Amino acid sequence: MDKRTTLKIAKIVDETRDIRTFTFKHDLDAKPGQFIMLTDFEGGEKPFSVSDCTNEEFSITVKRIGEFTTRLFQKCVGDFVSIRGAYGSSFFVSKNKVLLVGGGYAVPTFYFFVKVLLKAGADVTLINGARTKDEHVFAERFRELNIRVINTTDDGSFGEKGTSVDVTQKIMSQNKFDFLYASGPEMMMKNLQYVIGDIDYEFLFERYMKCAIGICGNCTMDPLGLRLCVEGPVLPKEKVELLTEFGKYHRDASGKRIKF
Amino acid sequence: MQKSLKTEFLGITITSPLVLPAGVMGMAFSGFNISVENGAGIVTSKSLTLKSRTGHKGPVVAEFEGGFLNCMGLCNPGIVDGIAEIDQFKKRSNIPVIASVFATNTKDFLELTKHVNKSQTDFLELNLSCPNVFDEFGIPLAASTEEVHNIIMAVKQISKLPVIAKLSPNVYDIVSIAKAAESAGADALCMINTVGPGMLIDTKMIKPVLFNKFGGLSGPCIKPIALKLIYQTYSAVNIPILGMGGVTNGEDAIEMLMAGASVIGVGTAVHYRGIEVFNKINNEILEFMEENEYKNLKDIPKLEKLNG
Repeated sequence: MDKRTTLKIAKIVDETRDIRTFTFKHDLDAKPGQFIMLTDFEGGEKPFSVSDCTNEEFSITVKRIGEFTTRLFQKCVGDFVSIRGAYGSSFFVSKNKVLLVGGGYAVPTFYFFVKVLLKAGADVTLINGARTKDEHVFAERFRELNIRVINTTDDGSFGEKGTSVDVTQKIMSQNKFDFLYASGPEMMMKNLQYVIGDIDYEFLFERYMKCAIGICGNCTMDPLGLRLCVEGPVLPKEKVELLTEFGKYHRDASGKRIKF
Repeated sequence: MQKSLKTEFLGITITSPLVLPAGVMGMAFSGFNISVENGAGIVTSKSLTLKSRTGHKGPVVAEFEGGFLNCMGLCNPGIVDGIAEIDQFKKRSNIPVIASVFATNTKDFLELTKHVNKSQTDFLELNLSCPNVFDEFGIPLAASTEEVHNIIMAVKQISKLPVIAKLSPNVYDIVSIAKAAESAGADALCMINTVGPGMLIDTKMIKPVLFNKFGGLSGPCIKPIALKLIYQTYSAVNIPILGMGGVTNGEDAIEMLMAGASVIGVGTAVHYRGIEVFNKINNEILEFMEENEYKNLKDIPKLEKLNG
């Protein structure tokens, strides 16, 4: 039944100029990789990955990209927003040696996930990439978790110079991992596929979502008819390999195919 | 004794009487694929318009105890892209497809019909009854016997496919609308579209939950209304009825058949029971047939018609 709940913003943290973390006091009971739908009832309801979650509170980390997120950035601590969820599939929690590859504003969901992985006893290496220093997030938070982190930017303005994909290729040639996870721009994940050999993996995808409960069909992925809001957003290798739209096109709010 | 769900709808043999209705999972060809893999016997596209529409801003759905409100706002990629999705599905499947189309006047309906004529579609559904675009288009066409009659008459003259009229429950006398559709040449009726519309309010923020404020009601709470309207209509017309409204399980589907429906739409239940809902209901209908020793779907009796 209705999982909608209306909450006050408890905390706001600026990560970069355009990326901000909003925290709410609420037992969301989410799993890593899952998302919530958030609205202010002023027009628009959007999916956001959960970037942290405990029994008392949860966070989302948002990039300002359009009308909706611009309005969200104008809100203050104490303002109400309404959420529903958590929805969707979550990451498989490995106990072994794992490599996480993240890009840009899709990285924060790994913060929640790394905490869960560590609790399960996994050996975690994270490649935290962004185009440039101003878009690189959570470096400090991941440092505090005492995992192996390789920070990288395409232009070398922070950490190593190179894309997440370049760094992945290098790291994987020197180390053996049992499982790989990726969360980032679709073309990053598409390019990853070519450099990671036959390792088992899960990728976190993004599509235009409306109902988030598997009815409207807007986030359906071809040709399997996967509803990314129900069967996703985390998809396992065996499904990813069958996706014909992966890295090729996605659908906009009208359902029209838009090429990447 | 082997039970069978095989039946016929407008001259085409179908493997299950369950229909994926317009607006549910019908955006991409792969949405049709997965519905069929899970037991749907007919699939329907989103209601397609001449130009693409992004639909209303969210929230577009709101859940409550008895069902859902939705105000998608006729989002669709437009008739050309929508037909392309249908044709891509038909390349690899012989399951019948209903192309649902929406317009506000005869001229546009005729234009849409010409597009559908050139496709691999099996049936044409005229959505005369979307309740969620009132601000933009006003009272649905399905509220007027004259409009319904004129549009269907015009479309029938050029349509190469059987024409199904989708009717609104939100009218004073649905039977006269249904009769008008039949007399204009409609081959079947699809009923009911969502009820209401209704609204829900967020009491903390003092705002309607739906950004459109109002949305059509679906889910278990509308089943009694659907049954009543289908039964009244079945009693008054001779064309087949694609019955829908709150069907969640096999028992609901049997009720629809008994009320007079020939085939049954399953929409909102995709949320309640997963995309597997079609096979689940298929099996529940088969179990009912087993218990009651009905060999074929058509052996399931219908209610005696009203007034006779």
